Amino acid sequence: MALLEVDDLRTYFKTRAGEVHAVDGVSFTLEERKTLGIVGESGSGKSVTVLSIMGLVQSPGRVVAGSVRFQGQELTTMKDRQLEDLRGDRIGMIFQDPMTSLNPTLTIGTQITETLRRHRDLSRQQARKRAIELLEEVHIPKAASRLDDYPHRYSGGMRQRVMIAIAISCDPKLLIADEPTTALDVTVQAGILDLLEELREEHDMGMIIITHNMGVVAEAADDIAVMYAGQIVEQATALDLFDRPEHPYTEALLGALPTLEGDARHARLTTIPGRPPDLIAPPEACRFAPRCKYAGMDDCNVVAPELREIRPGHWVRSAHPASERVAEALVTS
Amino acid sequence: MIGDRRRADFEATLLRTADERGRDAGAALRRASLWRDALHRFTRNRAAVVAALAFLSMVAYVTLTPWLSSLDPYAVDFSIAYQSPSWDHPFGTDQFGRDLFVRTALGGRVSIGIGFAATIAIMGVGILYGAVSGFVGGWIDNGLMRFLDALYGLPYLPFAIITLAIFGTVNFWTMVVALTIASWFTTARVMRGQILTLKQNDYVRAARAVGARWHRVLFRHLLPNTLGVIIIFVFLELPGVVLGEAFLSFIGLGISPPKASWGTLAQEGYTAYQTYPYIILIPSLAIAWLILSAFFVADGLRDALDPKAKQKAA
Repeated sequence: MALLEVDDLRTYFKTRAGEVHAVDGVSFTLEERKTLGIVGESGSGKSVTVLSIMGLVQSPGRVVAGSVRFQGQELTTMKDRQLEDLRGDRIGMIFQDPMTSLNPTLTIGTQITETLRRHRDLSRQQARKRAIELLEEVHIPKAASRLDDYPHRYSGGMRQRVMIAIAISCDPKLLIADEPTTALDVTVQAGILDLLEELREEHDMGMIIITHNMGVVAEAADDIAVMYAGQIVEQATALDLFDRPEHPYTEALLGALPTLEGDARHARLTTIPGRPPDLIAPPEACRFAPRCKYAGMDDCNVVAPELREIRPGHWVRSAHPASERVAEALVTS
Repeated sequence: MIGDRRRADFEATLLRTADERGRDAGAALRRASLWRDALHRFTRNRAAVVAALAFLSMVAYVTLTPWLSSLDPYAVDFSIAYQSPSWDHPFGTDQFGRDLFVRTALGGRVSIGIGFAATIAIMGVGILYGAVSGFVGGWIDNGLMRFLDALYGLPYLPFAIITLAIFGTVNFWTMVVALTIASWFTTARVMRGQILTLKQNDYVRAARAVGARWHRVLFRHLLPNTLGVIIIFVFLELPGVVLGEAFLSFIGLGISPPKASWGTLAQEGYTAYQTYPYIILIPSLAIAWLILSAFFVADGLRDALDPKAKQKAA
């Protein structure tokens, strides 16, 4: 049994202009102790996907279809009360901005022990002791003396470490990290990623890392799902995806990465022209077609491609994946 | 040469200011607790400190004077009626020869007492109503707010008059209830706004992500963060309530003689204001003193508790 199975998840937001299809049929499976990276640009539905899994989508948003099974348990139909017991206990979550994710009026210690005592039957002293251990586990120096500090005494990186300590406090089986390093300095980012990896191994957790940074997933993830306009457009192992990207969008994303090789200082970064489609009325056809280099010669603007397995373990949603383009080129020449 | 000297001066200045800044930063860190920080900012605001002292001295005057003075504020002695202020009677006497220094203090006890009691009640009702409305949201929020809009449309005076009429008697507590009913709306609205804003905070979402139930979110994460606003609002509401009480008493709907409040004292002075103007002037000045000082304190508190707001304005 997989740790987490998401099947055809759809989350829509009601607005005055119409229904926004923020997540539109996302499916994936996460095995225990594995890390899945979800990549995509802003508004591609990455965050809403994991918020839907957690049952944290706020009105006017709503999970309208699909299923989320965690350790075989269906979450989408679960009562709020049960879901609350699950959150923070068996599923932990880390958010993007550590500067605002801690309550400024409560001490670090209080915020850790409250979560502990919410899910575990611990006395005040026991919870305090455990909180110190947790802070040590996330490498906060002099943890015992820093327990009674307020968040404003912590730097961004340290606050993110505290958030991680809170997230893993009850030994969850699944850790969801929503852009855990985006708000941090580059030098701090690596430390946080190392820490997450270390904790994942120690605690036997499965992990989902959301990011728009290809470098982050390359380092941390076993599998990578690329999202575009509310759908997964490509999914494969990290190695395969970086070695042989198939979807034109993934290719473009990788092409947009700065490199240190060649004449890097003078080269311009490539960009992807155009904008993502309006998700109130997503196009019936391929959602990436308007921005795709390879669209236009055939029915790209008419038929929506299905997610298909182009080779074992490598799924892509495109009429013109890279390997087929190569084959086509060979045939025509 | 001159350029070199200038440069050396410049560098020395830079070093010195950096050093001063370093020391300042260290000091700021040492006293970095939220409330001590606020207190520090408050005490540097001269107007606010003067206002706070003025406010406290008024409170001290009204509480202490009736105990310390040997004069009986209810003793009638027509032989000393309408005496102008003197050493024996600093505020003079009224038409029955009662000492106005003690009576103004007594009136102040009633006025300020009603003011504080009603303010606390207003805070209680307003915070509860606003917090529920903002926290629950949806159609309940909509309903509560439309009801509030309807109440807003009605003028202040009829509320107080109707409430007092329903009670049939006028005493300290009925005045408190009447004034509370007439003026809790704004607090409720402001609280709702506060809760709505705070609800969007990342730490609220983070709390929900670790399984916090609604009561924890509300009482642990939302309400404590509104404390600054609540404190400011106490000092903004108080003057309005004191003025409301004085007004009701002045037109004869409030506290009635021989008991004194600043409103009744002003009313008594009104009958003879052409010949003995000090009788109406003294309670009026007392009211103005209290209201002004409370407003300045509120202003100072706002700057002290929410320094970012000031930066934005500047």
